[in-house]
Amino acid sequence: MPIEMEICIHKAGIQSTIQDLGRYAYLSQGVPIAGAMDSLSARLANIAIGNLEDLATIEFTYAAASFITATDLLIAYSGEGALLITGELELPAYRPLFLPKGTLIKLQNNNHGARTYVAIAGGWDVPTVLASKSTYLTAGFGGYQGRTLIAGDKLKNNKNWSESTLKLFSQLKGTKPKFTKWGILAKSFFPDDKSIRVVPGREFSWFTSDSILYFASSSYKVALNSNRMALNLEGAAIERSKKEELLSTAVTPGTIQVTGNGNLVLLMADCQTTGGYPRIAQVAAIDLPRCAQLKPSDDITFRYISQENAEQLYIEQELEINTLKIAINDKLQ
Amino acid sequence: MGVFKCEPMIDKQQETTSSYSFQTYALGEQAITLEFGNEISEETAEQINSFKELLSENLFPGFKTTVSAYTTLTVFYHLMEVLTSDLVGTTCFEKVSNYLHQLKKSEYQIQHTSKAVVTIPVCYDEKFGIDLREVAQINKLTVNEVIEIHAAARYRVFMIGFTPGFAYLGGMDRRIASPRKSTPRLSLPAGAVGIAGNQTGIYPLKTPGGWQIIGQTPLKMFDIHRDQPSFLNAGDEVMFKPISMAEFNELSCQ
Repeated sequence: MPIEMEICIHKAGIQSTIQDLGRYAYLSQGVPIAGAMDSLSARLANIAIGNLEDLATIEFTYAAASFITATDLLIAYSGEGALLITGELELPAYRPLFLPKGTLIKLQNNNHGARTYVAIAGGWDVPTVLASKSTYLTAGFGGYQGRTLIAGDKLKNNKNWSESTLKLFSQLKGTKPKFTKWGILAKSFFPDDKSIRVVPGREFSWFTSDSILYFASSSYKVALNSNRMALNLEGAAIERSKKEELLSTAVTPGTIQVTGNGNLVLLMADCQTTGGYPRIAQVAAIDLPRCAQLKPSDDITFRYISQENAEQLYIEQELEINTLKIAINDKLQ
Repeated sequence: MGVFKCEPMIDKQQETTSSYSFQTYALGEQAITLEFGNEISEETAEQINSFKELLSENLFPGFKTTVSAYTTLTVFYHLMEVLTSDLVGTTCFEKVSNYLHQLKKSEYQIQHTSKAVVTIPVCYDEKFGIDLREVAQINKLTVNEVIEIHAAARYRVFMIGFTPGFAYLGGMDRRIASPRKSTPRLSLPAGAVGIAGNQTGIYPLKTPGGWQIIGQTPLKMFDIHRDQPSFLNAGDEVMFKPISMAEFNELSCQ
């Protein structure tokens, strides 16, 4: 039988929000997609415990957060922002974890990335607002009361569990933290390649050839004022050869805009639905999760690929995720 | 908030042609943008709306949603659903692009949908219209003339963007055009009606803003508790109706 699970936030961390895979239904009304910045990690955490991949997760930013289990828990975590530890015990990512009631779980700095996702059996139970459970901070709706989590917040799960989740829970249930011997091999989804693959943007030809060459051959730095709306990038200014004004048009996470003074802005999950800056490139969807894991002052480099190639890479990854889901399901039969 | 750009003047065109065309380009792997032109015009807006309606009656497998803008319509879709559909093309982008071009061919006449005009009550009292005097001064008009001119025009919603429910309105009389404030205000109330350059608009949420504020509407321009949270939609025609402070207070209580 599914059980009610609950955690209490002990330390909130820098920015902790509830996110699912985003809100698409109201784009035409100017409502941003929001959702997990690193949607791949969020999906993998859900898949690891037999959840549907689009259930709500907690997105933690960096470490310095902690929570207490108010009941027994079945969770999985993913992403690059932190390691989960309890006492001296380091908990492995990308695999089902059983935690008994009364355990203090800390997020410990790992210096790798920015964001960590915690999925719970059945998904986190927050109201659905405009067809999604994602928090949209700018307008203050969705997720947990439309805001970042604070100490003392109590979060419960949804008791609508899959067969796989039920089996995992009965396998791992006990009096001590316990995890499966198997886990998802995240490395196969996150290549070591540091460069971010991009497809030329619609206004690609509006820039000087020197600037285009520079864009694809030099390194940029993620600026301190980056957030869920955009990564601002520092580096040599991009120059325009065509000075014409662009009429505002739809943009989407992964769009790289060039501002009036030649700076690059890489739009992320909470970005506006329309924008008026010329677009030099669009990050291939397969590499957007890696952008979500970049921290201020990290380096970022770009490499051009074709639209066909970007589409093919995405399809291959989706097929790989499907295979993974089947494999986990089979393991639990 | 991002930087809000000044848009060029909107030229009203009365005539519409019976044929139109668009170019397509990919916006990432799961969206396609249809470009109907490169200038703001009533005609282009009409074409975008007409095609959007045609599409809504002829959805393809994997269709998610559309976003209208001045000269573009962007169609979002599920890549894997398009991949496994029987749409024709070597890539998913091509499949959707082919489908949309075929769909266009099926319709030779633009359907002129006669839309009702949406009336938005605005209280132009100087308690709300904190920049009315400045706008009047800039344009060598009286405050009353500014209000009359603003409330006399018929506007069209070209697109929604910038923030949830923010309508880009075209059709403002140039006689009340005013540059934005040199220093943006840190907080404007939801419902503030403003002017920036040749455009007018209403702030749907409490946000910082650099527009010249001339009034306040008691309506909620964006409300998550409604089925359609945005009060306005791309394609709507809009008029402003001046109301007194008493009427404003009455409407605010509803």
